[in-house]
Amino acid sequence: MLTGNAAAAWGARVSDIDYVAAYPITPQSEIVELLSKWVASGELKAKFVEYESEHSMIAGAGAASLAGARAFTATSSQGLAYGFENLFAVSGWRAPMVMVNVSRGLGMPMTLQVDNTDVFSARDTGWLQLHAETCQEILDFIILAYRWGEDERILLPVIVNMDGFFLSFTREPVYIPSQEEVADFLPPYEPPHGIAFSPEELAYAPTIILGHSYSYFRYQMHLAALKAKEVFYEIAREFGERFGRYYGPIEKYMLDDADIAIVSMNSFTSILKGAVKRLREEGYRVGVLKINMFRPFPNEEVADALSGVEGVAVFDLNLSTGAGGIIYPELLRSIYHMESRPRVVLDFVGGLGGKELTYGEIRFMVRKVVEAMRGEAEPTPYPYLLFTEEDVQRLAADMEIAGKKWGGF
Amino acid sequence: MYRFRFHGRGGQGIKTASRIFGTAAFLEGFNAQDFPMYGPERRGAPVAAYVRISREPIVSRGYINNPDVVIVGDETLLFDPIADPLRGFGGGVLFVNTPSTPRIELDGHVVTLDITGLALEYIGRTSAISAGVGAVASKIAGFTKSNTLDAVAMELEEIGVPGELIDKNLKLAEVSYDSVPSFDLESLPSIERSDFVDMGVVQVRLDDGYIGVATIANLGNTAIRKTGNWRILKPIIDMDKCTGCKICFAYCPDVSIYMGDDGKAHINYDYCKGCLICSSVCPFKAITMVREVKTL
Repeated sequence: MLTGNAAAAWGARVSDIDYVAAYPITPQSEIVELLSKWVASGELKAKFVEYESEHSMIAGAGAASLAGARAFTATSSQGLAYGFENLFAVSGWRAPMVMVNVSRGLGMPMTLQVDNTDVFSARDTGWLQLHAETCQEILDFIILAYRWGEDERILLPVIVNMDGFFLSFTREPVYIPSQEEVADFLPPYEPPHGIAFSPEELAYAPTIILGHSYSYFRYQMHLAALKAKEVFYEIAREFGERFGRYYGPIEKYMLDDADIAIVSMNSFTSILKGAVKRLREEGYRVGVLKINMFRPFPNEEVADALSGVEGVAVFDLNLSTGAGGIIYPELLRSIYHMESRPRVVLDFVGGLGGKELTYGEIRFMVRKVVEAMRGEAEPTPYPYLLFTEEDVQRLAADMEIAGKKWGGF
Repeated sequence: MYRFRFHGRGGQGIKTASRIFGTAAFLEGFNAQDFPMYGPERRGAPVAAYVRISREPIVSRGYINNPDVVIVGDETLLFDPIADPLRGFGGGVLFVNTPSTPRIELDGHVVTLDITGLALEYIGRTSAISAGVGAVASKIAGFTKSNTLDAVAMELEEIGVPGELIDKNLKLAEVSYDSVPSFDLESLPSIERSDFVDMGVVQVRLDDGYIGVATIANLGNTAIRKTGNWRILKPIIDMDKCTGCKICFAYCPDVSIYMGDDGKAHINYDYCKGCLICSSVCPFKAITMVREVKTL
């Protein structure tokens, strides 16, 4: 029985990391606390450095990676934001470190609970992204992430995301492979090239370059990220053969004969899967498409998975204010060029700040899609907020305590 | 799948109790998933933890609305509107840590045990109830005593409790385990109901900026919430011994001690949380702590 945080620490440990850059933040701290305990006891032979901020922490871990160390760090929400500019630096250095993000909303208003807007804000930074639904996936994705990012065809850093509380503090049975088993799959980090490993001598310094060079180098990162999907299949197949757990860029759940798909990422997918079984008993032919890999975005896989589907409900546990959910436009890009794409694609924002996702809200998503499919409701590019009668009552109670003259809905 | 929901106050060990139960279930061969929920970590604030156990893989996560078993670690939470431990309860088993008999009418089984009293007896601390609460849940589920005690030892070791104290906790766990009945979970009527509740979906409209920004307009709003019901031990001042030296008045972290017209210290029990600081700093040993039992 391991929490998501403990699974992350174990994932780093069995990956034989050399360097841990640490700075605490709820709900992530347990990860670096465990690593620090193991470094102190000698169970993990790595250098543990506590930084004065996430800004330096990410730069330090990236530098360690450049120097030939297998580097690990972890953060969340405000910490990710504080270190944000160095995300671009590390990916530009092509330093294949791994960072776990424990997803949490950014204040204000302040919360300790989940809102994936934090990790999605890092989508354009050049980091690859894997998102976990279960504690087992966290551990496995970290091992995969090192093998993946360190592949000489890619050389990019990887974020492994888990939801705060719903995974970080949730315990589940997790299989921990031995360090020897992992070592066979994940050889020591010795890239033959990259900034610090050039066959020629280097006089490297950050330099300001003109557009043609900038375009070239930036596009190299894009091509490497695209290549990463193909490489992921190779390494995930080998991982599956060794460990018996097979992963792809997406996962299909009861989708093969479905008319309606709910698209989801991260831990709330478990809630949606449970609801789908019940919805089928009620006569809705519905399945779940889970996206594991957010960068590179698995366009072809998403299009293929939705090829037989008429209606799609995108569940977005995030909000780009003024537009809508963040998965929604990513998905539309994937399916636009399909010959027979789903006729209806609607966006639903829910679970923000760890708000409960009830069965009624999930059924609401499916019903809205069905209404639009039948022409009973206008399709809209704007999201529906999943918010219940009970939420209204609880909000009203908070408003009263806060002394706000709120008239309700 | 069986759904257990734990309620308690920050610092009581309710999260640990839920993990003891989760580990015991795992040792019994169940798939288990435990999940604590709390806001900013604060002693005394309501805490809940959710444990799902199943012979099948668990395809669910998060909150539990319709629990089969509710475990209440603190009797004062039973009717607390924020904690609301009876929410969604229907026909299963309710356990309350209390020396008295709760006056409630509900469908289902009510089990009580004074774990706090046992914790005082075996460990000497009112806050160390996690082993007892975990063991009670484990017994209600019909788990074996050996798996229960193994789970207690594993979880307390995990959080760094020293060996000698683990032994005392094992004694508390064993006595608690032996003091409550076990149930055939499959026969509980709540099992037929499910996590699948429908509370409707409403449309949120744009309010003006004053309303739509997370601010608190109500000055002095903490007066609304009397925090004195967190108290397990109540300080009593012996007025014959009190000299009015004001040391307790200065040390009280909740400003719950005031100086009366008689020149002596008095306690505002609406807000006193029973932290024991006044009792420990009084140079005249004028403040004694007595076990307080709330009538339910």
